[in-house]
Amino acid sequence: MITVQNLYHSYNKDDRYAVKNVSFEVQKGEIFGFLGPSGAGKSTTQGILTGLLQLQQGEVSVAGYDVKRSSPEMFNKIGMSFEQSNVYSKLTAKENLQFYRKLFDVETREPKELLKLVGLEGKGDIQAGEFSKGMKHRLTFARSMLNNPELWFLDEPTTGLDPAIAAEIKDIIKRDNKKGVTVFLTTHNMFIAEELCDRVAFIIDGEIKLIDSPRNLKLQYGEKLVEVEYIENGKSVREKFSTVLDKDKKRLQDIIGNYEIQTMHTKEATLEEIFIKVTGRGLV
Amino acid sequence: MLKRIWAIFTRDVKVSMRTFISLYILVVPLILAFAINLFTPGINDTTINLALLEADNPEQIAYFKSFAKVELFKDVESVQKRVEARDNIVGILPEGDKHYIMIQGNEPEGVIDYAKLINSLNELDIQVEDTNAEIIEFGKTVPPLKRTLVNGVLLLISILGGMLIAFNIVEEKADRTIRSINVTPTTRNTFILGKSLLGLVLPIFGTIATVFICGFGDVNLLQILLIVSAASLLSLLVGFIQGLSSDDIISAVSIIKLLFLPLFASVLAIELLSAKWQKFFYWSPFYWAYKGNNAVLSQTSTWQQILSYTGIVIVLCGIVYLIAAPRIRKGLE
Ligand SMILES: Nc1ncnc2c1ncn2[C@@H]1O[C@H](COP(=O)(O)OP(=O)(O)O)[C@@H](O)[C@H]1O
Ligand SMILES: [Mg+2]
Repeated sequence: MITVQNLYHSYNKDDRYAVKNVSFEVQKGEIFGFLGPSGAGKSTTQGILTGLLQLQQGEVSVAGYDVKRSSPEMFNKIGMSFEQSNVYSKLTAKENLQFYRKLFDVETREPKELLKLVGLEGKGDIQAGEFSKGMKHRLTFARSMLNNPELWFLDEPTTGLDPAIAAEIKDIIKRDNKKGVTVFLTTHNMFIAEELCDRVAFIIDGEIKLIDSPRNLKLQYGEKLVEVEYIENGKSVREKFSTVLDKDKKRLQDIIGNYEIQTMHTKEATLEEIFIKVTGRGLV
Repeated sequence: MLKRIWAIFTRDVKVSMRTFISLYILVVPLILAFAINLFTPGINDTTINLALLEADNPEQIAYFKSFAKVELFKDVESVQKRVEARDNIVGILPEGDKHYIMIQGNEPEGVIDYAKLINSLNELDIQVEDTNAEIIEFGKTVPPLKRTLVNGVLLLISILGGMLIAFNIVEEKADRTIRSINVTPTTRNTFILGKSLLGLVLPIFGTIATVFICGFGDVNLLQILLIVSAASLLSLLVGFIQGLSSDDIISAVSIIKLLFLPLFASVLAIELLSAKWQKFFYWSPFYWAYKGNNAVLSQTSTWQQILSYTGIVIVLCGIVYLIAAPRIRKGLE
């Protein structure tokens, strides 16, 4: 669905690249995530893929179209939800959707149905300028679904939304993906990446450090830990043990045999811990 | 493509109606047209008023009545008093078998000429049936002030169109919506055409309204629309450039106001300066548009003349476009 080879991009057209030698492929039907801290080059990459930024160097094909030759019909097949919401403040929510509807050549979804889907039911006749930030974001998100896209670009789809709404948005993404929609999303939120993505790319300073499925990454990088809380000399002690290292395993057996255990949890390394291990930096 | 241009245009109209300042601009042409009508005499008011003696030959009186509004007086003295009153009325008094003309001195030349003309026609015994259109036309000559004002308003309307464009682009920028249009199958040219339409439709609508409200309904509408549309191209360009380079309505207005400078300069040059100065204003599209409008409004225009003026305006706008196009394209990215 997407093929990117040796992509470079510099905003000043010099050698300070916002995106450096990026290559990856997105298969039909998968949810592919770009995970990285703010300023890593996620939106820049997405901008090039959606034709918002001019392709400077590299080969990019999206939904069967070569991005170098701009073809307006490509946009009938893709949807794009922006990180910063952008809707007409002077138009009502419904008018916003109705206007964009007319710009596509393919069958489009009913504005009313979409508003209901993103929790804006009954708000259709209010001018978007009066909406809260979260409501505008949801309207922007709803708009990206207007043309039933087969390839869906989502830039930070849940950032800044309250948890309940974020959960709804995640459900919508999962549901559409089950129907066969390919999703390319960017996020600096590891929970989103972990929960939604079939594969993630770690990106930092414009470079992809690694691409794999969250599960594989955990198997590969995340050594399993056991956290134990026990009583020693009348005091409660907490300690972490690796389930891999022999020394830790022996000590764990010893404690279980000789002390009173209060709690015992296995702990999985989070995607964020793996990210830090791989890139040497955190996600914020 | 047409479907999208129409969608963009109707959206702009809708939003303009909801924005106070844009709505105001939409109705300004109408307000100005009514104001002109209020403060300048109408076309038919210029029909000549004549003061005659009651005792004059009834045949003569009937003759004059067929060309002008006639008031009758008892004696020469009353006629004189009437002529000296403030409005423009000309006395025609018998002397032997001829008539002489009595004026106050402050009547417009056209009025006096007309009175003289009627008088000589009478003496030559030319009947209404013999008169040709020229005489009637002469009686309907529009006061130049009114023509000047209407012409100026027409050019002003062309600038207002550019303002609306600038406002609508400032809106797109403030809402960051150009990006979201760029991820639909709308091409940049379609977007530009859609956004331009209002800058053309407002002048056309405003011109038709002004022309009819001010009583110029019988001029060649097609010719005048051709000239106004061509002149609007300039404001359209300026509107785009301004919209893209300003972040709020106020700064957009302030630059577009600069267009009034060449507009006023051109009007003043044509109205006040002698022939040898005219060439210094040939660069201004408003100069040619004003000239063209004048010809149409006074019904002396020929298609050849109008087409060549329109051509000049379009070429001048084309030069501005060539200079501005890269900036416009860049601004839309
Ligand atoms: N319009 C722009 N002009 C210049 N530099 C930019 C622009 N947009 C982003 N950048 C720079 O490019 C880099 C990548 O930004 P971006 O792709 O937005 O990151 P992300 O989406 O991962 O947070 C950052 O260093 C940012 O400062
Ligand atoms: Mg971003």
